[in-house]
Amino acid sequence: MDIWNQLLQGFITAGTPINLLWALLGCTIGTAVGVLPGIGPATAVAMLLPITLKVDPTASMIFFAGIYYGAMYGGSTTSILLNTPGESGSMVTAMEGNKMAKSGRAGAALATSAIGSFVAGTIATVLVTFCAPVVANYAVRLGPPEYFLLMVLAFCTVSAVLGKSTVRGLTSLFIGLAMGLVGIDQISGQARYTAGVPELLDGLEVVLIAVGLFAVSEALYNVLYEGKVVETRNKMSKVHMTREEWARSWPAWLRATAIGFPFGTIPAGGSEIPTFLSYATEKKLSKHKEEFGTKGAIEGVAGPEAANNAAITATLIPLLTLGIPTSNTTAILLGAFQNYGIQPGPQLFDKNAALVWALIASLYIGNVMLLILNLPLIGLWVKLLKVPKAYLYAGILIFATVGVYGMRQSAFDLLLLYAIGLLGVVMRRFDFPTAPVVVGMILGPLAEAQMRNALSIGEGSWTVFVQRPGSIVLLVIVLGVLLLPRLMKLRKRSA
Amino acid sequence: MKPQQTLVGAGTLVLGVLLAAGAIGIRSDAGYSGVGPNFLPWLVGISLLLCGGFLVYEARSGGYRDMEEPSGAERGDWVGFAWVSVGILANAALITTIGFILSCTLCFVLAVRGFKAAEGRLDLGVRAWLVDFLIGFAIAAPVYWMFTQLLAINLPGLTSTGWL
Repeated sequence: MDIWNQLLQGFITAGTPINLLWALLGCTIGTAVGVLPGIGPATAVAMLLPITLKVDPTASMIFFAGIYYGAMYGGSTTSILLNTPGESGSMVTAMEGNKMAKSGRAGAALATSAIGSFVAGTIATVLVTFCAPVVANYAVRLGPPEYFLLMVLAFCTVSAVLGKSTVRGLTSLFIGLAMGLVGIDQISGQARYTAGVPELLDGLEVVLIAVGLFAVSEALYNVLYEGKVVETRNKMSKVHMTREEWARSWPAWLRATAIGFPFGTIPAGGSEIPTFLSYATEKKLSKHKEEFGTKGAIEGVAGPEAANNAAITATLIPLLTLGIPTSNTTAILLGAFQNYGIQPGPQLFDKNAALVWALIASLYIGNVMLLILNLPLIGLWVKLLKVPKAYLYAGILIFATVGVYGMRQSAFDLLLLYAIGLLGVVMRRFDFPTAPVVVGMILGPLAEAQMRNALSIGEGSWTVFVQRPGSIVLLVIVLGVLLLPRLMKLRKRSA
Repeated sequence: MKPQQTLVGAGTLVLGVLLAAGAIGIRSDAGYSGVGPNFLPWLVGISLLLCGGFLVYEARSGGYRDMEEPSGAERGDWVGFAWVSVGILANAALITTIGFILSCTLCFVLAVRGFKAAEGRLDLGVRAWLVDFLIGFAIAAPVYWMFTQLLAINLPGLTSTGWL
């Protein structure tokens, strides 16, 4: 079969010593980043984007995928042992994981989350292997009108549907779109919003926005508001699961994979919804309901953690086959592809088949590496939690400088970095979501180009968006996504 | 009435005005597509005006809706904030003259002062400066070498040896 052949080729590429080394390096950095509070996979990948200037695309994509994956494994360690979740996807893990750790079962919680991540990650990778080419095959038939509407769908879900407040989500989205406008217009070649600053002609760098919004703003927010916050640390115990804990974990892993994967594939972004759904499911089905919220139920850790991994892996499908990012990190991965002049999309599977399959193969390899890195070596990672906060954040600022300065060698960018950091502090203080900014900034210029191409096809008429069956279906979905939650709210209120 | 929230809404309005003002200066030649390079700028500018207006309305009628309480202290620690800000800005100002390693080390030392100040443990003794300088140097130098020597990515140095 064709897929087997290509996957085998992928394994051969990913299995060369140098690529294995990149994968290992990525997994290690990713785990560290996941464990350390205050820095997540999106920031880490963004800071390391300058390597795209020198390293070949396959190696660096393997490296970045390792970071992406590793951060999820590491994130669960922090959310179980500290009382602050490292990233949004581990929020639910923190609820039960913390309770378990407090009652002396930190080891079992860590084991079920690492093994659960492995199981879910591997199953999801198998599904990506078989689904992605099918989706790509279908996606070849999509034209500019459909692409534009798909991107609009991504904008809507990221900004209006996922967050708590539509107006704050939309404000973030439009700020992101505004950032994407800076620079030379792709179609007409006209400069927009450059204010005569030559540095702005090339547009704003993804690195700059991501690092400013996540790393610098995190540091500034922390020094401003969280200096007095004292984190409590839970005690480690032996990483081991009893027979009963195994028996309670594995059905949760499988159910969670089934919940998480579909959520990752649709442009609905984020892993908050699937992790919460999995948690609710496990709580309902558990024979040990009394343990939830009291001494900690192992299903409540196993499920969400597996759902998180399955969803995150599945986000690679829209990214690779459609070129549509649905989360912060995939948006930055898209930026990495663009640095190489590669535009992910259905053609990726033809034009850059070797790269795609090496990337997919590296996911299988990375999962195994991470299981080894995270189970026997967990003690090493826990030591990272002892780094004093002052040194941690000051160190992050050094890495932020490397990432931003290394990309364009411009001191002006460092000033902008500070400004974006301030914007991030305001956004966090007033509960504005950040994902729409990043997605808007990266996807905005692409969406604009697709829209204008679509209108060219329709000879300037907007009816081009309702004349094709594919675009009508998408339009209906967009409207549904926007209107249904509101109608349901209204009905609830009147009932 | 929430003055801070009103201010954030007003900031959004100002951003909308700036974008719309900028959009006036963009050519509108549409070609075949019916919309030119000024279409999205107008759309974004007007949308930001609408969002800003709505935010101001929410702020003045009981505050933002569905808002999660921000984490951390009620009032900001502006002394610590100033230390960190000076660190970042000094880095931007000095990186090309004194080189990546020294500039980042300086940023590190100043930022550590800020975080310690926020924790209420600011130590301005000579020993503390020296220790933090050494730690900062021990982080910045290997990063610099990794980028310049291993990856051949240009970062500014005090000398042109690629080592400092």
